[in-house]
Amino acid sequence: MSSLNFGRLVRRGVSLAAITASFMCSPASAQAPVDLSKWSPEYVRAIAGTKDFDTAADCGKVTPLAHKGRVTFWYQGVFEGDPDLLRQYYRDFFATFRKTYPNIQLEEQALTYNDLLDKFRTALLGNAGPMVVRLQILGGVEFASKGYIQELKPEDVGYSTQDFWPGAMKSNMWKGKTYGIPTNNETMALIWNADIFKRAGLDPEKAPATWDDVVRYSKQINEKVGVSGYGLVARKNAGNTPYRFLPQLWGYGGGVFDEASPSPNYSQIQLNSAASKRALQASYDMYVRDKSVPVSALTNQQADNQPLFLAGQLGMMISHPSDYDVMLDLKKRVTGSDVQKAQNVIDNMRYGLIPTGPDGKRAVVFGGSNMHILKPEYVDGGKVDQPAAKAITCFWTSPEWSLKMAYAGSNPGNLNGFKTKWMKERLENIRFLDVTTSMLPYGIPFPTIPETPEIMNIVVPDMLQNALTGTMTVDQAAEDAAKKVKSIMSGGKL
Amino acid sequence: MTMATRLAEAPVQASALQSGLLWRIWTSRVDYLYVMPAIVVMLIVIAYPIYYTVELSFFNTPPSLQLRDKIFVGLDNYTLILSSEVFWQVTLNTFIWTIASTGLAYVLGLGCALALHRDFVGRAVLRAILIIPWVISAVAASYIWKWIYHSNFGVIGAVLVELGFASRPPNFIDNVNTVLPSLIVVNVWREFPFAMIMLAAGLQTVPDQLLRAARVDGASAWQRFWHVTFPHIRGVSIATILLLAVANFNSFIVPWIMTGGGPANASHIWITHIYELAFGRQRWGVAAAYSVLLFLILMALGYFYVRGLSGNEKERG
Repeated sequence: MSSLNFGRLVRRGVSLAAITASFMCSPASAQAPVDLSKWSPEYVRAIAGTKDFDTAADCGKVTPLAHKGRVTFWYQGVFEGDPDLLRQYYRDFFATFRKTYPNIQLEEQALTYNDLLDKFRTALLGNAGPMVVRLQILGGVEFASKGYIQELKPEDVGYSTQDFWPGAMKSNMWKGKTYGIPTNNETMALIWNADIFKRAGLDPEKAPATWDDVVRYSKQINEKVGVSGYGLVARKNAGNTPYRFLPQLWGYGGGVFDEASPSPNYSQIQLNSAASKRALQASYDMYVRDKSVPVSALTNQQADNQPLFLAGQLGMMISHPSDYDVMLDLKKRVTGSDVQKAQNVIDNMRYGLIPTGPDGKRAVVFGGSNMHILKPEYVDGGKVDQPAAKAITCFWTSPEWSLKMAYAGSNPGNLNGFKTKWMKERLENIRFLDVTTSMLPYGIPFPTIPETPEIMNIVVPDMLQNALTGTMTVDQAAEDAAKKVKSIMSGGKL
Repeated sequence: MTMATRLAEAPVQASALQSGLLWRIWTSRVDYLYVMPAIVVMLIVIAYPIYYTVELSFFNTPPSLQLRDKIFVGLDNYTLILSSEVFWQVTLNTFIWTIASTGLAYVLGLGCALALHRDFVGRAVLRAILIIPWVISAVAASYIWKWIYHSNFGVIGAVLVELGFASRPPNFIDNVNTVLPSLIVVNVWREFPFAMIMLAAGLQTVPDQLLRAARVDGASAWQRFWHVTFPHIRGVSIATILLLAVANFNSFIVPWIMTGGGPANASHIWITHIYELAFGRQRWGVAAAYSVLLFLILMALGYFYVRGLSGNEKERG
């Protein structure tokens, strides 16, 4: 089977439950600009380039283009693991906004994924936040629950709720109200080096079907080729860790709560369930028993795995479609005989769907970011220029810019982005895009509760580190994590 | 009390006032006026945060509530900290980190200071080279050392494997047993130049004629150091050790950047744990209680530092 033949795979493999889980918030998915029930790489190709949009005209209806004002804006920007291509689009976005709204004084500030929440929280304590913030998908509910951000729905900036993925809209909901608008939605895929697979005696064009296969492949690669098999990531306080472990946890049938079920209520802690322990055991087997993953996994982020992969020292990893472009960027920095080695790795890059659990369950974190507008009392200066704030929100969540800003690494938050000419161009330019768009129906949002950042960034990595360092057994680590989640949920103690 | 008595006591009170503290303040009122702006700034930027931290340490701050909606819990945060296993692990790490870093940086600094105290060709160049770790940015140094230690493609590992001393790169910072010693090495590397400079300055005060006399009397090198040199640098040694200890208790950059306190809390020290509790977990109340405890310890160290300095002055006086 070709690594790119995902249409057939998706048609055969997508379970009704997975689709239901992702689409469950959609009261009227039939009214959506795209038919989510037909979602497949072929469908995405068929709708690409079928509609034109005029961002300036659309946003001009929300905020007149002559509006004179000022807006402060913080956003999760590009970081070291992103391709140069994305940097250019970020520059273009701000230049275009300033040109479209010449009388709005835009003061933007980019922060990395791992720094944004810390800085934003600290600023809010001193009522010194920005007027608008683009936060990672797991952050919005925390600030909505605390009353820092305003109610904000797509209709407020000229779009319809049906224009956005239901799962993404869910991440903006708190107590039945909407507090943000998705800019982009990302689902990752499994990336592997076909040459390493071949040398390890594995089918170079076939991804491991299950997580048990990942463990087996990783061991085989390590034994036969002498390089790390799977790019495990277990650093604490780093978004990369839950994004890579949760698909494994859900695949095995586990979860932090019941977030992978069609109607989650987050009341039952499942981190210590038998299925969750099996998922943790798989990581333990790779790191401790087989020693088939990078030893540096406990301090690694995905940005550390990328050079390992390019150096041909890593067989498989979970990452974005942008990693192909990242590899091309990294190759430019390579010198001498390493250039050919790097090119060899790039030529042998393959993308596949994230493996399933033993029961055929496939899952991936439904990631991305959302735009939020703050309440005036928490903003530096005590005022929010509402029209200016809506203008920048409308701009970024437009079909055009939600597509362009997600060009290499993600997917447009606004579903109309899939219909634009840039999507068509993107499908031609970005290799392996089919795979990650095919993963969208398997996307599961993080639990929409204020405690999620702490659970995902601290408790889950702690559990992994406790088990992988031998500080605790797998059982103990899972029980300890479940106890911590219970404690957090019952009043915020340690 | 009768009117006569009151009148009789009035001059006595006035006289007491004149010779007392208030009178001295009154007579120096212009001086106080000059330092008043500095005192006001100190009260705003030091006293108020201390007061607020102490106050916050008596409140619970769950992630679903704003800080202004904090819940009073009395001493619960202190109880919670002292009954937490992690606290004792982090405390042990903090003491190992502080004592080892301070001790080793002092010993290495002293050795270098003694070596550089002798006159030899290239001394100035060597001194300049040895100061580099201290002047280099701690953030940059942490990233460089992270790369040097890296368990997969680190420099040390590659050299050891290449030379045949190891079959695979050693695991420095991804192992609960080796991570803290590895970070201490980095910290000592960064700090020893500071000790070296302080002690080199102290060595300038050792009278040369005493050392020559001791040599004439047949004293060995160790005896000359222990009985002549060291007593003269005892004061500066105390100051250096106390300053290093305070800096190490508060040392955040190296452990945070290199490991984030991991793996499994093995390299968490108080200050990194406080940061994680406050900014990563929003446990502002618990973090404040932690900070109060750390503040008390640092105040104690500060007291000894000032006493050490006062002792020196008295000796010199």
